[in-house]
Amino acid sequence: MAGNLGTQAVASGSAVRVNKHKPDWRGWKFMWPFAVVFVLVFIIPIFYAIYISFFEKRMVGGTVFVGIDNYIRLFGDDQFWASCGRVALFTVVQVPIMLFLSAVMALCIDSMKLHGAKFFRISTFLPYGVPAVVSTMIWGFMYGSKYGLVGSLNDLLGTNIDVLSPDVLLASIGNIVTWEFVGYNMLIFYSSLSTIPHSLYEAASIDGASEWQIVKSIKIPELKGSLAITVIFSIIGSFQLFNEPNILQNMVPGNAITTYYTPNMYAYNLSFSGNQSNYAAAMAIVMAVITMAIAYAVQLNSMKEQMK
Amino acid sequence: MRKSSFGLKVLAAGTAAMTVLAMAACGGDDKPAQSADGELSGELSVWGWGNGMKELAEAFEEANPGVTVEYAAQSNASDAAMKLTNAIAAGKGAPDVCMLEDAMVSQFAVQEGIIELDQFGAQDYADDFVAGPWGKLQVNGKAYGMPLDSAPEVLYYNKAVFDKAGVTEAPTTWDEYYEAAKKIRELGEDYYITNNAGFQPFTAQAWQAGGHMWTVDGENLTIDMTKSEGMQRYIDFTQKLIDEDLINVRINAWSDDWNRSLNDGTLASLTIGAWMATNLKSSAPEQSGNWRVAPLPKWTDGGENGSEDGGSSFTITAQAKDTTLAWAFVEFATHGEGAQVLTDEGGQFPSLKSILNSDEFINADDEYFGDQKINQVLVEAANQDITQFQYLPYTQYATTIYPDYTGPAYMGKVRLEDALQDYGEALAEYGEQQGYTVTLK
Repeated sequence: MAGNLGTQAVASGSAVRVNKHKPDWRGWKFMWPFAVVFVLVFIIPIFYAIYISFFEKRMVGGTVFVGIDNYIRLFGDDQFWASCGRVALFTVVQVPIMLFLSAVMALCIDSMKLHGAKFFRISTFLPYGVPAVVSTMIWGFMYGSKYGLVGSLNDLLGTNIDVLSPDVLLASIGNIVTWEFVGYNMLIFYSSLSTIPHSLYEAASIDGASEWQIVKSIKIPELKGSLAITVIFSIIGSFQLFNEPNILQNMVPGNAITTYYTPNMYAYNLSFSGNQSNYAAAMAIVMAVITMAIAYAVQLNSMKEQMK
Repeated sequence: MRKSSFGLKVLAAGTAAMTVLAMAACGGDDKPAQSADGELSGELSVWGWGNGMKELAEAFEEANPGVTVEYAAQSNASDAAMKLTNAIAAGKGAPDVCMLEDAMVSQFAVQEGIIELDQFGAQDYADDFVAGPWGKLQVNGKAYGMPLDSAPEVLYYNKAVFDKAGVTEAPTTWDEYYEAAKKIRELGEDYYITNNAGFQPFTAQAWQAGGHMWTVDGENLTIDMTKSEGMQRYIDFTQKLIDEDLINVRINAWSDDWNRSLNDGTLASLTIGAWMATNLKSSAPEQSGNWRVAPLPKWTDGGENGSEDGGSSFTITAQAKDTTLAWAFVEFATHGEGAQVLTDEGGQFPSLKSILNSDEFINADDEYFGDQKINQVLVEAANQDITQFQYLPYTQYATTIYPDYTGPAYMGKVRLEDALQDYGEALAEYGEQQGYTVTLK
C-alpha cells in the first residue's frame, strides 16, 4: 500500500512534490519548541560524546586524536566487563522479582476486596518519591551489622547475619531498588487494569466465573501489555545502577564496592577521578548501545507475544 | 640540591606544557606583591572546607573593607579536588582561591590548573613554615601552594582502653604496637587497636618504613610497591596484623560506624594526622578525657619516626580574575593574621612556625585529652626532619582506586603483597596512558 503511494507520487511529477512540501513545514512550526530542546539536550550531547570518544587527553602531551583506540581498549578492559556482568546478573534476578511483586500488588488493590485500597496504593508508591540517595542512606543504616537494625537483630537472636558481606551485597542492593520501584511499577500495572471495561466483569460474573478465573482470563492478559513497558524501564534502570552502590560504598566493610562496581560508577570514577572523560565517553556509548539492544530485543519479543 | 636537579631535568625535557607554564610565570603580570593594606577592592571567590573558614573570610573583609569574599564550603578534600578538576576541564567555574590537600597540588600544577606563587614572592616565606608541608607544595622548585595546616602523623590512642588491656605505656615501636594490638584484641570481640584506614595512612606508614612507592622525576615515574626493603617491612607487618585478626577490616575511615566505634571505645587508636584532635572531639564526645597523643611508633629503636598524613594549602587557580587580590587573601590566611584565626577558631594545627612554637600554643592543655599538653607532642612531630615527600602527579586517581586493590587483601582474600603489586601495575598503566614514562619494579 505504502509502496504504491510512493510510486504514484514519483510518477505524477513535480507538481505533487511542491504541494507535499508546504504541509511539512507547517508541521515543523509546531515542532520547533520541542525540536530545539531535543537537539540541544539530547542530540548534541550524544554527538559530542561520540566526538570526544575518538580523542585522548594526556597529562603529558595534551589531547590527541586516537581513532577507535578507546573502543579497542574498552573491549579488552576486564573491569568494564566485570561491571557489565554484575549489572546483567542484577537485572536477571531483581527485575522479575520486582515486577512479580508489583503485579501482585496491583491485582490486590484492583480486587476491590481490600480495605483501605487508597492507603495501600499511596504507601506502596511513596518510596518512589523518596530520593534514591536518602533511601539508600536509610537502608544502609538499617543494614549495619554492628550498629544498625541488623546488628540489633543479631544481638537479640544471637545470630551473626551480615547483609553487607560481599557474597550477598548485590542482593541487598536489589532489595533497596525493589523497595524503591515496586510502587512505581505497581502504578503502571494498576492503571492498565483500571482500563478494563466493567462490562467484561459483568459478563464474567453472569457466566459464573470465580474471582480466580477473572484474574486468569481477564486481568493477567491485560497486564501483558504494560509488562513490556515495565520490563524495558527496569532493564534500563538496572543497567544504569549508580546511586545505591555509590552511596553504600563507604558503609560496606572491606571496600567490597569497587570503583568499577557498575558500568556507570566506572565511567564516573574514570571521568572525575581519573581525568579520562574521553574513555568514559566511549564507555557510555557502548553501554547505551548494549542497553538499547537488550531493550529492543525485549520489545520485539513482547510484540511477537502480542501478535499470537 | 635535589630540588634544583629535579627542576633542571624537567626544563631539559622541554615539554610544551612546562614551557607555557614557565612563560606564564615569567612573562605574566609583573605587579609587585601587594600587602593587604586596605587598598584592595572587589570580589573574591574561595573554596575550602573545615572549621574556621567563615571566620577567616570575615577577618579578611574586616581588614580590607572594599573586598567581598564569597566563601563556598566544600564537603571535603576530595570533593574540592573533583570540583576543581571539572571547572578546569570546563574552562570556567573555578574559584579565585582554592583550598587543596597537599598531595593534590602537584597534580593541579602539572595540569596548569593553578598558578605558581613565586611570582608574588612566596619563596621569601619558605623559612617561616615547617619543612614538611612547605616541601610538599613545591613543584619543580617553585611554590604552587601556601601551607595551611600541617599534618605530622601521630598516634592517637584511647588510654582508658589501653589501660584496661594492660598496656600502660603508649607503644614507641611497631613491635610494641603489635603486642598492644594483641592485648586489646583480647578485651572482646569488638575491640581492635585500629581499622583499615585507607590511602593516606598507607602512604604515611610505608614512607616512614623507608618504602618510596613512587619516585617522580619530571616525566619519568618509578613505581615500586613491593620490592624495596622498606615496602617489604611495611607489607610484612600489616599482613601480620591482618592474619592475626588484629585490625578491624570491617570499618572504613570516616564512615558512620567509624565514628560510633571511636565513641564507644571499641576502636582504641588511630595513626593519623595531627589534625585529628578537633575531629575526635566531634566524633567521640563520650570518650572525653580518655584520648591521648603519642609520637608515631618507630620501625627501629631510635630510627626515623616522622611522617606526614594529609595537610592542606591555599592555591590560586589559573582562572583567577584578580591575582593580586587572590594572593593578598592567601598571604593573609597562611602567613598573616588569618593563620591565627584558623588556629583559634578552626582548631587547625598550624604549619606557621611563629604560631607553632609560641608558648601559648605549645602549653595549651586540653580537657578532652585529659589535660595532656598535646601540642607539645604534635609540635615535636611537626618539627621532625622528614625525608621529602613525593606524590604522583595523579594522586586523585591513585587514592580512588587504592581500596579496589587492597580491600580484598584486608578481607583475607589475597595477600597484601600481591594486591599492592597489582595496584602498582594499575598505576603504571595509567601513568603510561597519561604520557609518562613509567618504570615498574
